[in-house]
Amino acid sequence: MSDTLPLGLDRSLIGAEFDSSTSEPVAAEDIRAYADALGEAHPSYLGPDPIAPPTFCVKFRGTRFHHTAIPREAFHGGFDAGKDIHFGVPIRPGDVIHTRNVLHDVYEKTGRSGSMVFVVARQTMTNQRGEMIAVIDSRFMLRPKERAE
Amino acid sequence: MILDLHAHSKKSEDSRATVVGYLQWLLKKKEVLPIDGLVLTEHRQFDGETDYRRLEDEYGIRIFKGSEVETDYGHVLVYGVNQAMLDRFDFTNVRLSAQEVITDVEELGGIAVPCHPGRPTVGLCEHYEVKPPLEGVRAVELLNGGSRKGENERVEDLIRKHGYAAVGGSDSHLVSFIGICATRFPREISDEEDLVRALREGGYHPVDFRDRLAGR
Repeated sequence: MSDTLPLGLDRSLIGAEFDSSTSEPVAAEDIRAYADALGEAHPSYLGPDPIAPPTFCVKFRGTRFHHTAIPREAFHGGFDAGKDIHFGVPIRPGDVIHTRNVLHDVYEKTGRSGSMVFVVARQTMTNQRGEMIAVIDSRFMLRPKERAE
Repeated sequence: MILDLHAHSKKSEDSRATVVGYLQWLLKKKEVLPIDGLVLTEHRQFDGETDYRRLEDEYGIRIFKGSEVETDYGHVLVYGVNQAMLDRFDFTNVRLSAQEVITDVEELGGIAVPCHPGRPTVGLCEHYEVKPPLEGVRAVELLNGGSRKGENERVEDLIRKHGYAAVGGSDSHLVSFIGICATRFPREISDEEDLVRALREGGYHPVDFRDRLAGR
């Protein structure tokens, strides 16, 4: 395997943290409001001491989508290519959510529309007890500008 | 023996299909999808670690392993992947030399088969319009289950002109696409090395089960 990633990025950047954040304590009414917005009717999400629906965790996204090493000038567009979420313990009122974002992978592939670079950011989310709330792999497709031949 | 020569599991980053999901589907649909085995051709990698023998025994369906690599003439399926090939080529490189892949894979005991040749940008047909044909190609993927209208048909001209043998595969990335296109071999195939021998021998042809699956 090459020592460099697409765009000449150093492979040592894989696993490098580029963002972290800590939330305010989660409020029960925020959990209930989110559940209601989803149309959830299960009492565990709506009662006086609710647990959050699993996807509630996505709101704790940190402050950056990408590692600063990703050269924006090398691309002329792209799109969100989806998420894989591995859920841990549910979020409860009073939980303080800590997120840590690392650059998980950068790879290139070719398709009908040409060359694409995929950047995968992995966000690990834990509560104040150090329990894993979620691990989220967010995938972004970036369209590189034409390569010089 | 009927094999789906081109399938992706979750080890390919753009697939959501598990191998168990594939097997369960094939068992459920065996009346219309008479698939005896499948080849996992993961994108830009070779999975040398996962042992599928228990699943083979449980489901009675053979599971072989190959790769799909990316070259300057489009994507190529590699069968009979061994350590020598992994040492020779960086499978994550999307700009491999197709000629080197075709020639060296053959020399190292495998066989390289250009896949979805009719697909824009990553198929052989378009590259042959502007570049010399590759030497040493034995077979191409005539039937690809993920091709759009007209793409498989472009390959027929390619095959006629160059005398290539033809194979079929689903290019499945979702459970319900497994086996929709496949290849019928005139004999049983025991392992990956035997698959390479069978592909070199000839006598096989692609089969299309999409109409059967749709009840037409």
